Amino acid sequence: MGDLLRLDFGMSIRRAEPAIDSVLRGFKWTLQLALITMTLVTVMAIIVGSLAAFRVGGLFDRIATFCSLIAASAPDFWIAIVAIVIFSVNLGWVPTSGTGTPWHWILPVSVLFIRPFGLILQVVRGSMITALSSAYVKTARAKGVGNRPIIFVHALRNALLPVITVIGDQAAGLLNGAVIVETIFGFPGVGKVMIDAILQRDFAVVLAAIMVTAFAIFVMNLIIDILYAVLDPRIRY
Amino acid sequence: MQKLSTLLASSVFAVTTFSSAMAADSAVTIVLSEELDIVDPCEASRSNVGRVVLQNISETITELNPTEGLKPRLAESWEDKGNGTWQFKLRSGVTFSDGTALTAEDVAHSLVRIKSDKISCEIGAKFFGGMELSTNIVDDLTIDITADPAQPILPLLLSTVTVVPAETSMDAYVTTPVGTGPYIFDEYARGQHIKLSSNTNYWGEKPTVDSATYVFRSDSAVRAAMVAAGEADIAPNIALQDAVDKSMDYSYPNSETVYLRLDHAIEPLNDIRVRRALNYAVDREAFVGTILADGTLLATGITPPSTIGYNNSLKPYAYDPEKAKALLAEAKADGVAVDKEITLIGRTNNFGNVLETMEALLAMYQDAGFNMSLKMLEVAEWLEHYSQPFAEDRGPEIVEAQHDNANGDPVFSMYFKYATEGLQSGINDPKLNDLIATATALTGDDRSAKWSETFEYLHEEIVADVMLFHMVGFSRVNKRLDFIPSIRTNSELQLSQIGLK
Repeated sequence: MGDLLRLDFGMSIRRAEPAIDSVLRGFKWTLQLALITMTLVTVMAIIVGSLAAFRVGGLFDRIATFCSLIAASAPDFWIAIVAIVIFSVNLGWVPTSGTGTPWHWILPVSVLFIRPFGLILQVVRGSMITALSSAYVKTARAKGVGNRPIIFVHALRNALLPVITVIGDQAAGLLNGAVIVETIFGFPGVGKVMIDAILQRDFAVVLAAIMVTAFAIFVMNLIIDILYAVLDPRIRY
Repeated sequence: MQKLSTLLASSVFAVTTFSSAMAADSAVTIVLSEELDIVDPCEASRSNVGRVVLQNISETITELNPTEGLKPRLAESWEDKGNGTWQFKLRSGVTFSDGTALTAEDVAHSLVRIKSDKISCEIGAKFFGGMELSTNIVDDLTIDITADPAQPILPLLLSTVTVVPAETSMDAYVTTPVGTGPYIFDEYARGQHIKLSSNTNYWGEKPTVDSATYVFRSDSAVRAAMVAAGEADIAPNIALQDAVDKSMDYSYPNSETVYLRLDHAIEPLNDIRVRRALNYAVDREAFVGTILADGTLLATGITPPSTIGYNNSLKPYAYDPEKAKALLAEAKADGVAVDKEITLIGRTNNFGNVLETMEALLAMYQDAGFNMSLKMLEVAEWLEHYSQPFAEDRGPEIVEAQHDNANGDPVFSMYFKYATEGLQSGINDPKLNDLIATATALTGDDRSAKWSETFEYLHEEIVADVMLFHMVGFSRVNKRLDFIPSIRTNSELQLSQIGLK
């Protein structure tokens, strides 16, 4: 227990360094990847989902729904390989893989973006449809409040609670290591560190990785609970 | 809009700069299939370690060239002194990258270190199993090396031994290898890259390539794409389905042999009729040009056909499922438990399409009447089944393996794979032990003939295993390089042999 508190998980038998060093080095990359991806996903999904919900059944809603369903069901590994062939090999716009420049982040973030974006967009849309048909929105409309304040001030705040739950769930998945994307793009994140350690039976690293990601998920859930209380003053712990 | 145009223009400029920077100078980038867990020179017999370390950072005492045979490297000459002792004269004026001079003491230390029981060095276990090495330092640049039992090809065996400074730890792997080679180990950014730069004090000719960066991508399609996009110069190992560009892709016999190792100690595999049935049940030719590359050869021995003593008169077992069924029935009638479930064990990612190969083998065996199941295991778990000591309570197991021998002599394979004490042997056969020991001690035509006899004994008389294929490897090489992969590319990648067009 004392070793755990000191983050002493022992030495990696394969890497000749403390296991925690390997894991924290990987976690730093994964954390950046998750933060960038989830920030983009959250902003885009909320904007597109809200606009789609405003005119249910309209052209924008249909296109957004269709795209989100495809995005939510597309396999990461396939998208990653196709993206490399198109954008790196054929067009030469971005590097295929690796790290080193901001350009190296574009493909991994884009591939990681797709699935959570599809899922969260659907939740935002559904939640906003419910909020936009509520009495307080009708009252606001009756008072002559414009569309933008109705969507982004009155309805969105109330619609965000279930959205935050899904965002937290998706972010936790990324913090746990986006194994496929990290492996394909040679991104040295914690998911890849953990998979390599499992294959090499480097149990000190496996243990350290599990503890670090478990702690990160714990922190993530704590933040979500705090956000609930911030968004809805009726929620108190 | 103007801002957007500026952004796009700067993007294109940055990406163009990024791509051209890779190709402008004499630096090369090599993309490997897996990250190195260890960079110690005593593990250089492992292919991915060898591609970085062998003859780039650490040099060997002698060197085997695929076309020219055995050549001097750190030793300038050698002489057989009799009774298993060889005297080696070392090259003068050679220094390690830490500035110390190469002496006989370094060679003696390296030989002890590869067999140290405090660290597990593959070079020692793989090439020097079953023999004791002792040394006598005659002077700073002369050393007598004695092998017991005597090894008439000791100079060839020493082409596998990487020399490290005498100060190198005997009980821990090094994390920054120090060697005498044309390159210096600069940096290992874990998870990202390894960098080497040229050794300005190198004793030999200055290589064309100034520096090398090794990156790691486990997906073959990504490795191939990196070379196609100009981000990497060499992908030494890509899959058959990714080798589609004739201007960049090379195929070569990669010195790997795929076979099924049989455990002769466990029923029903201890019955020769069952082992013959296992051989007759496989349609080897059906794999070639389908899930394995065109050019893959059917194997009758564990080494490539270019190895001395390879018995070319042996024929692969023909596909004859009816004969396999008849042999099984005959064994069953004599009380052999042929219905016992046999576990077919494959190694995940061992070679391209290994899963498809194993599934096809399983189907063929089940069609022939074997009660068999398939397990695909990751390397660490697979090794527990492949390497001794084996579990006491194991059932009958057949282990798929791929063996690399680019060294031209069966001695690098036979003891390790077939002698009773061999680390990965599933056989205990005194006559086979004698054959291996005798062939190992012979020279010239006698040696070749004895190895040939050993191959025949293994294939025909005791049906030691199920020999399958001599494999073909694929590499992708950037067109700016003057480099053609060879049989050695599977285990080493000498940067000094790479030229620029």
